[in-house]
Amino acid sequence: MNKDPYKVLGVSRNASEEEIKAAYRKLAKKYHPDQYEGNPLKDVAAEKMEEINAAYDAVISQRRGNASYNSTSSYGSQYYNTAFDSAQVRDLIQRGNITVAEQVLNGVPANLRDAEWYFLKGSVCYKRGWLSEAFSNFARATSMDPSNQEYAAAYRNMASQRQGNMAGNPYQQSRTGGMSGCDCCTSLCLADCCCECMGGDLIPCC
Amino acid sequence: MFGYVKAYKPYMRIYEYEIYRSVYCSVCKRLSREYGFVTRLPLSYDIAFLGLMELSLKESRIKVCKERCPLHPIRKTVCLRADKDLDLTCAASVMLTYHKLRDDMADNGVLKKAAAMALLPFFKKANRQAEKRYPDLSDKISKAMKLQSEIERRKSDSLDEAAHPTALMMQAVFSELAADDEQREKLGRLGYLLGRFVYVCDALDDLDDDLRTGGYDPLIERFCKNGFDSEVKKQITAFCRDSIMLTLGALSEVYVDLHPMRYKDITDNIIYLGLKASFKRVSSGRKES
Repeated sequence: MNKDPYKVLGVSRNASEEEIKAAYRKLAKKYHPDQYEGNPLKDVAAEKMEEINAAYDAVISQRRGNASYNSTSSYGSQYYNTAFDSAQVRDLIQRGNITVAEQVLNGVPANLRDAEWYFLKGSVCYKRGWLSEAFSNFARATSMDPSNQEYAAAYRNMASQRQGNMAGNPYQQSRTGGMSGCDCCTSLCLADCCCECMGGDLIPCC
Repeated sequence: MFGYVKAYKPYMRIYEYEIYRSVYCSVCKRLSREYGFVTRLPLSYDIAFLGLMELSLKESRIKVCKERCPLHPIRKTVCLRADKDLDLTCAASVMLTYHKLRDDMADNGVLKKAAAMALLPFFKKANRQAEKRYPDLSDKISKAMKLQSEIERRKSDSLDEAAHPTALMMQAVFSELAADDEQREKLGRLGYLLGRFVYVCDALDDLDDDLRTGGYDPLIERFCKNGFDSEVKKQITAFCRDSIMLTLGALSEVYVDLHPMRYKDITDNIIYLGLKASFKRVSSGRKES
């Protein structure tokens, strides 16, 4: 099996164990083969159930420290070789225990600090509310490992806030005048795609 | 508090402004009734935001009435009667002002010192009263004050660190409003970020004064090692702007999460327009808008 176990369960990488269990229970209820007695979908459901079970086992065993699961993602095996246990720090941050998380991080000598270290340091600062420091740490993590989506997302979010973006701002749209040129083009392309799906065509040349 | 958490009036509807004002008025009246006349004097509109949050989270019934106010004797003002509520808002107002005054006493400016000296005896008594009602809160505030003086003594050049005590204080105040643990965490974060916002505004606002009198300001420690000129001032303003925008971005995230529906239009105005307007005023160097 080569699917990302977190995706199979539909939880994020930093979800807590409780959340993972809840997600597993929900999926198991949905796909349990007993519900599909005499249903042509029974085989599909059984297959799905197997996948969910494997993913759950993998995530749990990975979290308990024995990374037996062969993860294809950037997270996981790649970072187990660094000077600190990144899974443990992530878990501490997730549970809100940022003081201990920071102690672990500060214990890492300066020459062994990699992108993951800066990302986690940034997360600790963010949780505490030390936002300037968080931002520079996220920036450092992204510049050290530009391919990592997780670091990039954290950085992008703060960078847009730094430009003055605020979540749920009812005043923002009316003041910026709505849509930019790019938005307009993408919307038209999408509208064209929708029409084509339905057998029509909005923009005849594409 | 310091007068930076205010609504942006041009975007307020008239009835919103009246409610906003009436919350302020009822805090002021209650302060006078419960903690003594003098405690209402240094009150700023900041406290109305806390009042609005308290009213929207507790969701008890309120009554509107018209009363006379000794500070504006000509016309009657609209007042809210919601007696059980605003308890925390009043107590917090007293405690925060008391600590601010004590802080001003240590300040180098003569005027500030004189004003603080005149008001302090009245607040001492009021503060004791408030402490009795919210012992936990008063504990946390005194701890934050101690941390503050320690950071000032160390002359830290990190704005994040310097803002921490003020932020912790407001965190303590706002988390008192919570009904459960989940809400406590969110409200705490809202308070923390609001406190941080207030501190950064204040640090920028007081920059010129502190340069003159030699008072502590993390911005001076960080940027003015080699003197101060208009170029440095620009750098400082840009740095504060980034810090403020990051703070407001994070603040809006937790604010959206809280769903304070009751006075949403007014609190939206404060969060999305008022805070930015305050910072704009501070960074352009104008004293009052």
